[in-house]
Amino acid sequence: MTLETTACVLAYMVLAYLGGAVAALLPLRPDLTRALSAAAAIGGAVAGIVLAARVLIGGAPFALTVPALLSVGGGLALRLDTLGAFFLILVGVVAAPAALYGAGYSRAYTGRYSLRWLGAMLNLFLLTMSVVTLADNVLTFVLAWEAMSLASYFLVMTEHERADTVAAGGWYLAMTHVGLALILSAFLLLVPPSGGGSFAELRGMAVTLSPSLRGVVFVLAVLGFGSKAGLVPLHVWLPRAHPAAPSHVSALMSGVMVKLGVYGILRVALDLLGVGPAWWGALLIGLGAASALVGVLYALMEDDLKRLLAYSSVENVGLIFIGVGAGLLFTSLREPAAAALALAAALYHALNHAVFKGLLFLGAGAVAHATGTRDMNRLGGLVRRLPWTAACFLVGALAIGGLPPFNGFVSEWLLFQSLLPAIGSSAPLVAPVMTLAVGALALTAGLAAAAFVKAFGITFLALPRSVEAREAHEATATMRASMVVLAALCALLGLGAAFVLPALGGIVAGYAGLPRVVPPLTAGALLLPPGGGASMSPSLVAIGLLLAMGAAWVAVRVGAARGLRVSDTWGCGRIGQTPRMEYTSTAYAEPLRRVFAELYRPTEDLTIDVHPESRYFVQSIAYRSEIVPWFERYVYGPLVRRVAAVAGRTRAIQSGSAHAYLAYLVVALLALLAISLAWSG
Amino acid sequence: MDSLFAQLVVLESSLALIFGLVLLWRRGVPAYVNAFTWQSIVLALVAATVAWFGRQRELYVVAALLVLLKVIAIPRLLARMERRFATERELAPYVNTATSLVVAGLLVLFGYAVMRPVVAASELPTRAAMPLAMGLVLVSLFVVVSRKKALTQVIGFLVLENGIALLALLGAYGIPLIVELGVFLDALMGFLVMQIFVYRIHETFETLDVDQLDRLRH
Amino acid sequence: MVPWAIEIVQAALVLALAPGLVGVVRWLKARLQSRRGAPPWQPYYELRKLFGKEVVVSSNASWLFRLAPYVVFASTAAAACLVPSLAVGRPLDAVGDLLVVVYLLLLGTVFLSLAGLDPGSAFGGMGSSREMTVAALAEPTVALAIFALALSAGSTNLGQIVGRTLTDPAAALSPGHLFAFAALFVVMLAETGRLPVDNPATHLELTMIHEAMVLEYSGRYLALIEWAAALKLLVFFALLGNLFLPWGVAVAATPVALTLALGSLLLKLAVIAVVVAVLETRVAKLRLFRVPELLSVSFVLALLAVTSSFLAR
Repeated sequence: MTLETTACVLAYMVLAYLGGAVAALLPLRPDLTRALSAAAAIGGAVAGIVLAARVLIGGAPFALTVPALLSVGGGLALRLDTLGAFFLILVGVVAAPAALYGAGYSRAYTGRYSLRWLGAMLNLFLLTMSVVTLADNVLTFVLAWEAMSLASYFLVMTEHERADTVAAGGWYLAMTHVGLALILSAFLLLVPPSGGGSFAELRGMAVTLSPSLRGVVFVLAVLGFGSKAGLVPLHVWLPRAHPAAPSHVSALMSGVMVKLGVYGILRVALDLLGVGPAWWGALLIGLGAASALVGVLYALMEDDLKRLLAYSSVENVGLIFIGVGAGLLFTSLREPAAAALALAAALYHALNHAVFKGLLFLGAGAVAHATGTRDMNRLGGLVRRLPWTAACFLVGALAIGGLPPFNGFVSEWLLFQSLLPAIGSSAPLVAPVMTLAVGALALTAGLAAAAFVKAFGITFLALPRSVEAREAHEATATMRASMVVLAALCALLGLGAAFVLPALGGIVAGYAGLPRVVPPLTAGALLLPPGGGASMSPSLVAIGLLLAMGAAWVAVRVGAARGLRVSDTWGCGRIGQTPRMEYTSTAYAEPLRRVFAELYRPTEDLTIDVHPESRYFVQSIAYRSEIVPWFERYVYGPLVRRVAAVAGRTRAIQSGSAHAYLAYLVVALLALLAISLAWSG
Repeated sequence: MDSLFAQLVVLESSLALIFGLVLLWRRGVPAYVNAFTWQSIVLALVAATVAWFGRQRELYVVAALLVLLKVIAIPRLLARMERRFATERELAPYVNTATSLVVAGLLVLFGYAVMRPVVAASELPTRAAMPLAMGLVLVSLFVVVSRKKALTQVIGFLVLENGIALLALLGAYGIPLIVELGVFLDALMGFLVMQIFVYRIHETFETLDVDQLDRLRH
Repeated sequence: MVPWAIEIVQAALVLALAPGLVGVVRWLKARLQSRRGAPPWQPYYELRKLFGKEVVVSSNASWLFRLAPYVVFASTAAAACLVPSLAVGRPLDAVGDLLVVVYLLLLGTVFLSLAGLDPGSAFGGMGSSREMTVAALAEPTVALAIFALALSAGSTNLGQIVGRTLTDPAAALSPGHLFAFAALFVVMLAETGRLPVDNPATHLELTMIHEAMVLEYSGRYLALIEWAAALKLLVFFALLGNLFLPWGVAVAATPVALTLALGSLLLKLAVIAVVVAVLETRVAKLRLFRVPELLSVSFVLALLAVTSSFLAR
């Protein structure tokens, strides 16, 4: 009975997304297209959440196989266990507000870009992301994965006439297919010789593999899924592609799709491969720490609001991977309680990041929508013109900066706590690795706070730096509503941590090396990691903060003078303040640019025009400074040049004559036949 | 007793390491000389501590020699050289200060990782401090590599020598006295040779910037 | 009932003491520099005067500018409540650990930095940018120092760290503790805007950090911010005093123990105040771009603290 209800919910979800895609393609009025596709996407997202919630609450996985479809690869196999259900919830939580927001946001696209295509692809994108979390055999998984990549590629290409969008799409397509190739080879190594591709068979096969081969599978999976997750050094596409997409799609890509890379690694490492050696965890911690630092350092230097957010996604994925790595490390050290905590912390951060990064991208979209620019050096003062967006963006910025009592703080605190149990470990290398991870985590947290003070402060505070910013308008009602929903979630996930954390502990329970029943991670309103005596209660901290604020306010109201006068900002006696006197985004990051100059290696170009009569009278100063990201300059630059060189050489065989091509075909055929002959003979 | 011994040795070794780190933070040669002097005092203290708790009488001699040679003699010579080349400050090392400090921190951590098996196998009460001595050796190597001026490089070498001596003291309660004396003599001789080189470099190039040695090729 | 009474007493006490502590440091500095100096209770007069004055708000400033002083004050006060200034084993010990204290202080810093940007003055932006730079670079030191403390105590819970050192007095002299103390001391100088990082006495715009950020504040808002800054200084002093030399902290809720705790707290605050005053008299302010070097020194110290804590096990 219940199984059938669950299947109905699943069918409803699939039909909603598919229906939305079809409805979007119908020749309707633009308004109707936008409304229909958004409504369908919201319906699908809600159904997805219900489906996942049923599995999470019921505890029993839900499985469905349709052998008739795709029969070559073992049919379409779907199965939703707790891990998949968590990520399905992640999809739904961001998808619903993003779709609602998109309905208002894409109004500006009417007549310029194809709304039908946008609506159809959005629904397909959501459908395929949901199916990835459900897939239970290799074929289903890989097909859904590839369809997800393509759908997101088309979404990135929405504003297709812009040169940077096209370049971003190229990077994205190249990297995603390199990733797909790696994922496929990881799966192929795991598929048993008898040929079945179901995950259950893969699990059986993994046990029989030699340790080194398991290691190869793990590394391939990390690289393949890591390229989707934006793990350094495979992150280069992310800061290009995510900002190029429409903002609600950016929110989905940064908030959700990136997490499916995490899901893939968890699925392979935790579920399919089982307990691995300690270096798996150490590798992930190292990559995670590198991603976190690289991401936040480049985010700091970014003047483009959406690119800043995209780099910050690289950072947060790094933090998630530190948690996942610690979890894997502890499973291999046979410390299940610590492992469960680390994995729960990683999942918590994944959920939080989905929410606040979704919120921030929607906020950035509202800014871009209102002003037509994403360059922070042309923004400013928007807090008066866009009060709702500003308030929501502030909540998101505080949350992502890891400040109490919002959700980012809770998950970062848990990540710290999950690294502490390593103290007791006597395994070699664990102590230094964990020490470095703690240092990286803390530096990342501090720099992230700085980056988001810059992002919010420069964009929303002070005087507008351009005409567009001065004449900005607030976002539409649907856009505001979706931002408010996500901002409220940021607060709820922080304050309600005592309810969320045990649920997350239940999600990872039972996977490789982890106990079936995870010890309770909370006590009353307190978060209480196992082992240590440390505890924390975000809700009580929030109450304390509010009480202190209230008391201070009342005391000041009662005891202090009430006079208030509005006057000019003090300018050393100069009257008439202009935006040119303000700190810009570039200037704000200048101290840190100097501190980390060895990493950034900025090029600087200073031209000073002086008066012909005296060099003490400066007529104009032009300053240009540029940072070429390290990986692009030293890794991808040479690589791309080499590939281009090889491609140039192969051009020699491109004659353009059909006969020559036919001859190549014949030669290739003959060669293949000869090889197979030699092989069998 | 042993725990007090261990704590003292760890404390002294960490001080020696910190004086080594000072080379990365300060720039003037006098500060370098001071750091080296203090480090040598701490090293003599370590020798005396090991002599007292480990009941190794001859280590007192080593401590006295350390004081004579490294606390009094070499710093004086260094100070004289410094007076002669008063303008030669380490203004632009190859790696900037903040980065080199962080690198040094990582080197210490690396030293800890490298020495783990040794520490685990050792029974000595001094074993806990050995990673710090290893860290000092690595840090001083880094100083030698990353400094540009001949004078600061020389001090880097001396600190390296201190690090090796510290490692020997901790790992084997000092090498036999006769070898120790030979090492001291070597250090002194090496120092004098380097001094001559520094003078020659200065005469030839009017600077102590080792970068200038490139010009020898042309 | 009694534990909560202690909480309230402690909170009231630190709030009341904080301006006095700033006054004492200033007075000591003046004496060391052969000046007569204002009396130690001068900050109380200043606060009273500021609370009595009208506020002048920049016409460019938004609601955030008016909200920030309250957030800064509340977050610092909340952090101060979590610190075991007088007693351990309190109900609030479990509500937040050392990390929570650090992040609450960071919340205040972030709001102050935002408020610095809000009026659109160049000074505010400058101070804000520098403050966030210093805060971000201090963060890893703090975390590693906490990690080093947690290594010996097995927890980041403030009560447990104190209790652990009380039961094992030798731990207070262990290298890990000493290095962590040195690292946190440097961070304290940076975070509370003391010399050699920032000069609390100057109003020369180009050299200052904290003062540049709060340049636009006046009246009751400035009073709240100054009070919060004093409270932050006291929080750091109390942390340094009670985490590393916990003797005197009340373990039981008896009047005698609490009186002793008060006495020892005052003594520790006075000693650290003397150290800071002497230091501020002796050293010159660092160039802004040497501050990261100072912070990396403290980072290396914290790393050493962790490494030697590993060794000590």
